[in-house]
Amino acid sequence: MSVDASGIPSLDLSEATKLKDVELHYCMSTRWVITMFRTAKSENLQRITVILSTATVTQIEEEVYREWQDLDHLLLQLWTSRSIRPKVVHKRGRRKGGMRDVASRLLPELAKRGVVVVE
Amino acid sequence: MSVPRLVVKAQTAMSCSLPPEIFDLIVDHLHNERTTLESCCVASKSWVLWTRNHLFAHIRFDALRPIKSWMQVFPDPSNSLSHHARTLHLCEQVVPTLTDPDVGRWIRTFHRVENLYMDIFGRDYYGVSFVQLHGFSPTLKSLTLVYTSVSLKEVFNLICSFPLLEDLGFIRYAPTGPIIDEWNPPPASPKLTGSLRINGGLRSIVRRLCDLPGGLHFSKISVFHNNDEGPTLATDLVSKCSDTLESFTISHCAPGTLVSASMISRHLTAVRERRRVWDTFA
Repeated sequence: MSVDASGIPSLDLSEATKLKDVELHYCMSTRWVITMFRTAKSENLQRITVILSTATVTQIEEEVYREWQDLDHLLLQLWTSRSIRPKVVHKRGRRKGGMRDVASRLLPELAKRGVVVVE
Repeated sequence: MSVPRLVVKAQTAMSCSLPPEIFDLIVDHLHNERTTLESCCVASKSWVLWTRNHLFAHIRFDALRPIKSWMQVFPDPSNSLSHHARTLHLCEQVVPTLTDPDVGRWIRTFHRVENLYMDIFGRDYYGVSFVQLHGFSPTLKSLTLVYTSVSLKEVFNLICSFPLLEDLGFIRYAPTGPIIDEWNPPPASPKLTGSLRINGGLRSIVRRLCDLPGGLHFSKISVFHNNDEGPTLATDLVSKCSDTLESFTISHCAPGTLVSASMISRHLTAVRERRRVWDTFA
């Protein structure tokens, strides 16, 4: 069992060889998500959905901004190299406006390709 | 409601010329139209059997009184409408009565149920035995437990009594986990090839699931967790289902928010609505 920089044990998907669909809701940390996706070896993987909450996004500071860039890069890489189209859903809750900008800044490459949805 | 009523009138005139399989399809389309199905029931005697399959497909008991009424109306299990039921909801007030042998015999008339919901949140059911429910429907495929406090030993003995069980759901409405009591797994357990949903009490449930002698073969896992232990436990589940797992969802909630006020509110609204439907029907 590996542990990410924040000390949270990572989730290992390497043994799930038939996995087609992975969905993450309000995850513990961006680094944790990256570590988990790196363990996903299934050749059948077709769909990745990441759901972010407003709370998750408001907690982001400059120091973790790079982690989001890494996640953006990783998901894009999975899309281009393995044809796994990611979907990022940003739940804005009761807050109105500006959320698309936040999501676009965090995940610029994915946002540019229209896979970031604000609900 | 005006359109379905018109359809019924048209079918009444054509009933003799319709092949049964076509009529079956029409009635299937009306499965959500309760009023129309009730109208069909009184339109023709030959339609009664067809419509009952839908009218009594979902049965929910919120209190002891409806159970007693049901037992009085259908004293003979062979004439009971319970064999039409495919989904059975048992609510909080019903479960303690299951220790009554009469209720135990009554529950066995629901022998074709495929989905069982035990909605027993709000009270402490730790001392309540589920033995009367064991194997009551050999065709049971899905079991969902909404609970506050319950003995996992009772729950897992119940699970092991249904050989064809595929889907499991555990939804906890309490800040603390379920009671972990000593449990000797039976020699056989269902194959569990469908979906697993765990919302709360992850550690104790995963521990018990991993003890099942038949192993785990879920194709879909959905896990809610609220502490650092969640990923480790989820990894255990993934590893146990590595040959079959196709869909995996993990949700992280801040401690204490696994069950939010809005979830409880939504649940209570749904309960009230179902009671209203039941009262209307009764």
